[in-house]
Amino acid sequence: MSTIDNVSPARGRARLSGSCASGAALLFLLAAFALLGPVLIPADPAAQDFSASLAPIGGDYALGADHYGRSLLARLAHGARLSFGLAFLTMLAAAVPGVLLGLAAAWRGGWTERLLELLATVVLALPGLMLVLLLLAFSPGNYGPLFLGLSLTLWVEFYRVTRAATKTVLAQPHIEAARMLGFGSGYILRNCVLPVIAPTIATLAAFAMATAIIAVSTLSAISVGLQPPTPELGSMIVELLPYYAEAPVHVLLPAMLIFLLVLGLQLVAEGDRA
Amino acid sequence: MNMRAGIQELSISALAVESAAGRIVSDISFTISRGRPLTLLGESGSGKSLVAQAIMGNLPAELLATGKVLLDGTDLLAGSPAERRARWGRSISLLPQEPWLALDPTMRIASQVSEVHRFLKDRDARRSRQLAGDNLAEVGLERAGELYPFQMSGGMAQRAAIAITHAADVDLMIADEPTKGLDAALRDSVVARLRQEVDRGRLLLTITHDVAVARALGGTVGVMLDGRLVECGPAERLLAAPEHDYSRALIAADPQGWEGRAPTTSGEIVLAGRGLAKAYGERLLFADLDVEIRAGAIVAIVGPSGCGKTTVGNILLGLARPDSGTVERRKDLSPLRYQKLYQDPPAAFAPHQPIRKGLVDLVRLHGRTWIEVERLLARLRLQGNLLDRLPNQISGGELQRFAILRALLLDPVFLFADEATSRLDPLSQKEVIDFLLEIVRETGLAVLLVTHDRHLAERISSRIVDLGGAAPLGYGE
Repeated sequence: MSTIDNVSPARGRARLSGSCASGAALLFLLAAFALLGPVLIPADPAAQDFSASLAPIGGDYALGADHYGRSLLARLAHGARLSFGLAFLTMLAAAVPGVLLGLAAAWRGGWTERLLELLATVVLALPGLMLVLLLLAFSPGNYGPLFLGLSLTLWVEFYRVTRAATKTVLAQPHIEAARMLGFGSGYILRNCVLPVIAPTIATLAAFAMATAIIAVSTLSAISVGLQPPTPELGSMIVELLPYYAEAPVHVLLPAMLIFLLVLGLQLVAEGDRA
Repeated sequence: MNMRAGIQELSISALAVESAAGRIVSDISFTISRGRPLTLLGESGSGKSLVAQAIMGNLPAELLATGKVLLDGTDLLAGSPAERRARWGRSISLLPQEPWLALDPTMRIASQVSEVHRFLKDRDARRSRQLAGDNLAEVGLERAGELYPFQMSGGMAQRAAIAITHAADVDLMIADEPTKGLDAALRDSVVARLRQEVDRGRLLLTITHDVAVARALGGTVGVMLDGRLVECGPAERLLAAPEHDYSRALIAADPQGWEGRAPTTSGEIVLAGRGLAKAYGERLLFADLDVEIRAGAIVAIVGPSGCGKTTVGNILLGLARPDSGTVERRKDLSPLRYQKLYQDPPAAFAPHQPIRKGLVDLVRLHGRTWIEVERLLARLRLQGNLLDRLPNQISGGELQRFAILRALLLDPVFLFADEATSRLDPLSQKEVIDFLLEIVRETGLAVLLVTHDRHLAERISSRIVDLGGAAPLGYGE
């Protein structure tokens, strides 16, 4: 019954787009803070002022200062730019090859697919963080290996999902119909496959970014990621942890930023899934 | 057959279903009594399923039913949702469309029947198993208890669903398109089974677009159009001499009543298969099959579902490979002039692409002009405003005509119609077939028609190839 079909999904979409919109708004604010913050805030995130050690929020320093008297606002803005930027690049570096290989496997089948499946299984068998640690051992404290190691573990998800979704689409009669009508592979890819898999990939991208942020912060937190004094959200938490009793809110600020970003990504992903 | 004690009559008066946008179904009144089942006929979208949902009490929350639905004096509409739900499986049950999708795929069929005894009727486990065995024996499935739904044919799955309603021992059965997707022989066996339920004293409401089902069930027939019951009366009278224009058209559209209209002239061979053979695993579908299709002729392939009809067409089109044998087509013609129509029209269109976009791209790809499209639109009586909709927003009949339009743009010499009308209601089926015949006559198009409807094949095809040999498991028992 057309009437029923029209009524219920419309209501569902309205509710979900609400979560999508609030997620997008949150991401927009965070992106503005990460991009504009370092430009607009004059304070140097590495400048120390021991007289202001652990300065409270709302005094000379808008968001207080850490144990070395460095402006937390400046450090948060620079840290956000670094963490978010790194996560975004990692996601791109995982998504682009993952999606392309997934399409290739689904399209060609046969040996191409079998070899790619084997490769994906091998990568999955390696523990993700282990791979990152291994690469970090070559040049500690660098962005390069961190970024490479994370992308190497994250691309498999994109590959697997793209391959499975594309195979389902390609098996449908309308693809056969399009081929019989003379449409080429490029047209079928653009008009029949990509529109179907794009929402799934977008959801996956949001999850991958969240994973990357948490991984970068975790690695910094166990002091193997980026080295001080680089303002990175994870290492900021670790540095401030010993002063938890005197300045509890200071420790929570970088954690809060990570939490808000992951929340924003999840909300957007949820909206996409509808 | 012994009559059960139980409810005598379901009487419905002035039933209406309303949504926020207005009335969708209005002024439905009828009575179902023992021995006189009621069959609602009508095309998809005519509101027949909403009537069934209103009686069941499972209308979507946005819709409101008003009027009276009296089951031996109890008003089914008056109760709370919880009270309505309490009747499901106890006094009312629904035989779902395509039951192979409604049965639990992870559970053996005997357990699915016995859980009704165990949890609905609170019997102990041993007794439940015993009774479930009896229920399965009643529908001739005594040896199928250990099968999973995916191991059963469509007809067996439908009978398993009936066994479950036996276990529930309901008074009122509602069958929603019980024969959808079944071929003629399976359809007849399901209808015979439903007829037995009536003889046992159950009240039966059947919803269908198949006139043959209404004829076989007898009792009362109601014809629905745009949410109204346009005609309602005894089956013998209504099917023989319908009064309303729409019912007359609907009944005349049943292929059984058509006159023979097979094309008589034919030209040179367009496509031929010689000595074709194909097997799936152990099962041989066909061997040593010769098919020849000449320009302007319609060749029909008939046979029960699963016998390999579609495979023959796909082999001829080059979409599948035969195990042995060769396919000959004219070398001087582009492969684009060999086209196919699909069984399920919505599946043959990209689901998120408006019809217009697909056609514009096709016209551009092959250097045609939009004027040709407009000419064909008028020819196939398709409204221009349908172009901007998505495939799932227009009816199956219209979509199938768009598929014909799409094929005609490529100036085809051969068209493989794979059950192209089996999911359409009789009127849309007739329209689509009429257009095909016209085109065959005018352009000398060669058509390979795959169908399980023997009447249809006999009425319009020049030659029939019968693949009745290899029958799938459980077929026609």
